[in-house]
Amino acid sequence: MSKDNKLKCGIEIHQRLDTHKLFCNCPSIEGIKVNKKYKRKMHVVKSEISEIDKTAQFEKKKNTDYVYEFYPRSCCELEIDECPPLGLNQEALDIVLEMALALNSNIVDEIHFMRKQVIDGSNTSGFQRTAVIATGGYIETSKGKISIELICLEEESSGIVKKEIGESTFRLDRLGIPLIEITTGPDIIDEEHAKEVAEKIGMMLRVTGKVQRGLGTIRQDINVSIPKGARVEIKGAQDLNMITKLIENEVERQKNLIKLIEEIKKKIKVKKLKFLIADITEIFEETESKLIKNSIKKGEKILSIKLEKHKGFLGTELLPEIRYGTELSQYAKMAGVKGIIHSDENLEKYKITDEEIFQIKITLDLEKEDAFVLVAAPEDIGRNALEKIIERTQMDYVPLETRRADQDKSYFMRPIAGKARMYPETDIPPQPIDNIRMKKIKEKKGRGLEDTKQMLEKLLNKDLAKKMLKSKHLKLFIRLVESGHDAKLVANILEQTLTELRRQGIKIEKIKEKQIEKILEEYKQGVIAKKAIIEILKYLTSEKGSIKDIIKKYKLNKITGKELEKIVKKEKGDIGEIMKKYKLTVDPEDIQSILKNKQKIK
Amino acid sequence: MYSKDILKTLNKGNIDIGDKIIILEKNKEYEGLLMPRPELGDQDCIVIKLDNGYNIGIKITNKTKLNLVEKAKKPKKEKKEKQKEEKGDITILGCGGTISSKVEYKTGAVYPAISQKELINNFPEIKDISTINTRSIFSLLSGDLNQKHWEIIGKEIEKELKKDIKGIIIPHGTDTMHYTSAALSFMLQNLPIPIILTGAQRSSDRGSSDSKLNLLSSLMAAKSDFSGIGICMHSNLNDNLCYVHKGTRVRKMHTSRRDAFKSINQLPLIRIDYNNRTVDPINKYTKRDKSRKPKIDLKINDNIGLIYVHPGIKPKFIKNLSDFDGIVLAGTGLGHVPTNAFGDKNSISILKEITDLIESNIPVVMSPQTIYGRLNLNTYTYGRQLKKAGVIGHLCDWTPETAFAKLCWVLGHEKKMDKIKQEMEKNLVGEITDRSVVL
Repeated sequence: MSKDNKLKCGIEIHQRLDTHKLFCNCPSIEGIKVNKKYKRKMHVVKSEISEIDKTAQFEKKKNTDYVYEFYPRSCCELEIDECPPLGLNQEALDIVLEMALALNSNIVDEIHFMRKQVIDGSNTSGFQRTAVIATGGYIETSKGKISIELICLEEESSGIVKKEIGESTFRLDRLGIPLIEITTGPDIIDEEHAKEVAEKIGMMLRVTGKVQRGLGTIRQDINVSIPKGARVEIKGAQDLNMITKLIENEVERQKNLIKLIEEIKKKIKVKKLKFLIADITEIFEETESKLIKNSIKKGEKILSIKLEKHKGFLGTELLPEIRYGTELSQYAKMAGVKGIIHSDENLEKYKITDEEIFQIKITLDLEKEDAFVLVAAPEDIGRNALEKIIERTQMDYVPLETRRADQDKSYFMRPIAGKARMYPETDIPPQPIDNIRMKKIKEKKGRGLEDTKQMLEKLLNKDLAKKMLKSKHLKLFIRLVESGHDAKLVANILEQTLTELRRQGIKIEKIKEKQIEKILEEYKQGVIAKKAIIEILKYLTSEKGSIKDIIKKYKLNKITGKELEKIVKKEKGDIGEIMKKYKLTVDPEDIQSILKNKQKIK
Repeated sequence: MYSKDILKTLNKGNIDIGDKIIILEKNKEYEGLLMPRPELGDQDCIVIKLDNGYNIGIKITNKTKLNLVEKAKKPKKEKKEKQKEEKGDITILGCGGTISSKVEYKTGAVYPAISQKELINNFPEIKDISTINTRSIFSLLSGDLNQKHWEIIGKEIEKELKKDIKGIIIPHGTDTMHYTSAALSFMLQNLPIPIILTGAQRSSDRGSSDSKLNLLSSLMAAKSDFSGIGICMHSNLNDNLCYVHKGTRVRKMHTSRRDAFKSINQLPLIRIDYNNRTVDPINKYTKRDKSRKPKIDLKINDNIGLIYVHPGIKPKFIKNLSDFDGIVLAGTGLGHVPTNAFGDKNSISILKEITDLIESNIPVVMSPQTIYGRLNLNTYTYGRQLKKAGVIGHLCDWTPETAFAKLCWVLGHEKKMDKIKQEMEKNLVGEITDRSVVL
């Protein structure tokens, strides 16, 4: 990206913490099972200044039923909004406080949880509980200091599983899992830098060993704007590699949108356009178009509007495969329609005939430079959808939007949320943070990213150190090394052996951390040889019984002392031969020391 | 409230709640609106609302500087609308509670303040169902209500009954709603129209509030063919159906769920499906009849005690109840109290103390702490002993709360023990049934 764009970019990182839920004692697990469900409505609530929040009003228009599915082992009355919160998970708070220290932030003296209104249904209560834990702070990066604006502790929302006209289904198991939210200042220089910042904060979180790992446990939101453009929040980038592309594409989209707006403005005063929604169902009474036919069969209506002098604009590409028409369609979809059809498209693909197009043109009184949009939907939804499109075409600027990341592109989700939607959560008393608590956290806290990096580089070669730093086994590695195991051996087992076994099709997820610890302990105590470690790991995935049972069953006890001396004598000190015959039960080091001793005696 | 030291500093700086201030510390600086101090937490912490909407607490020490940035704009005074006499089909008599509570968004404080008018503004769907009149009687959480309030509500209903209306809705706190509904059932008998109490378990400020469905369903109930006192609340955890329960046979059975109200020992009366606008009777009830003359007797005695019997209950405790005009016991099992029926050396009887109360002309009424089921003082020795002593309630299947409300009402106009016993044990408004239906 060129510098003349003067990109303004900041990121928000949401990371799930590895502890039980934030306001109840349910475990923070995401399951697949559900056996209960309830259906709810969500109301728009006026805010303190009697203004309904823009986002809230927007959702209301959709008039949706919300279905909440859950499994009682991971959800209690709180998740289904049937009881007040039980109190704050103090372990979660400690984790955030530890991160605040690592990010050089100022921790507030007293925490006040707020209710942040969300009525897209993703929270059963209609709001998300969230609190500022610290403000300010910074991290060092290769391109200078990046400021930290805010560190919050909040509830994870529930996950959407199905979205249909008039009904959205959510699964509640993840609702209430504690999230740390870290917001950087808009100091990020370019898209590569954004990736670096996200990666660094992500690693800082992971080296604490107190955050969840795996798909969906960390999400990045990106705030992007360019001059003459607008602040756009792109939600839910899960993959670090996507960040660069997402930013690049957003800058491109805004640039092209600015250009397009200029062109439209040259032709018309968009704000003065007159709109009339026409019911054109009749035109399609004998249509060949399957899409339209099916819709009419269901009793739906075909509604249409004229967009004055918009011919050609709808088909203008903002990004490859993303046209201005696509943007309009995204707005319409929010009203509940599946999509729109517009006159800059190839209408043959919908099997709409020239005769039908001609009829539309007459009905809408279309002139040469005009465009039209049509939707097929239940009447009220269709009307809402077209109204959304009208609203969107009247924006002669880049709109402030919250967009959803999908691979390297983003799609409109909703207008950016206003400020009016936060008020105190009085069910949770304010929580003072005292010095005693902070002292304990400072004592207990782990090494931090830089120290961990240095430690790993001391213990391992460069490649393995880098791998280990990113590894999900980092916490286990440190624990094992600290209890006296050989760092290289441990790193090899965790990073190489396990991967190899997985590639061989062995279900390594069945192996528990404790079991790895025990095997290494047996090795340290001299009960087994090094080569036996892999064997035991393999057996663990297919056999019941303890490690000791496996050692016994497969005769994996290490041969040492006189017995080994006998073997050495028998094989005339040929290490190769001995290892061939006793590879799982003999350590070559032991043979060497016997041979050395012999020489000394001689 | 902020600590004295903070208040002093604020005074000195001419800083009031709502003003924009800046807090300066060694390396830190916070700007925001000064918020009122919640009761809990550190009173030496100043609470400010940051520009992003979040509140935070900052400890004020002698090293902290507090500066005023901008005084708050004075809120425009809302014109108080004069309550006009309207003519609607349904009258809504507001009594406060969560359903009509309002959140002060800045502070988060919840108080019962929303006017009935606001309620309707919030739920314009009301107009689709009925025309209404609204009036607020008082604005209290139901935990603070007592017999005086029942009388006040009764009087207001009496006024309304003289008008040409189809029904009455009483938005009310849920904690003691079933006490009020039982009491009103005795005070206002033979009603020609429905009087529906309703409430909310989730306050109206949240998107998930149950208040809308409860209110709209109540409106449907108030226009239905039902008559008498009923409670209309969610029937389950979905936002689809509400039940109308009989005022004397309903109880709040959960601390927080939206379907907390359950009919006890019988089915609810009516199922209301607001979304499909249907009203389905599921039990027998007296139909509305414009020509029926109501029997109104609002006199009530507020000197009644409701006592929960428990293992090891002390005779002294019962003895000290002699200042009451009447006692309701929530007994164990079929209606029991410890009487040491077998003369065990470790058991303590309270039979003598109960007998003494009755002999000093204080009626003692039994009710089941099991909530469900019917009392029977014939089955066990201690039951028989209590019955012999003159305890009232044998074979009654009322809830403790209904028994309590009934005793309050009966003692409001009756003093003679035998008459009291007679009236208590006779079914007046469906509080006692003669068959234990298997549900």
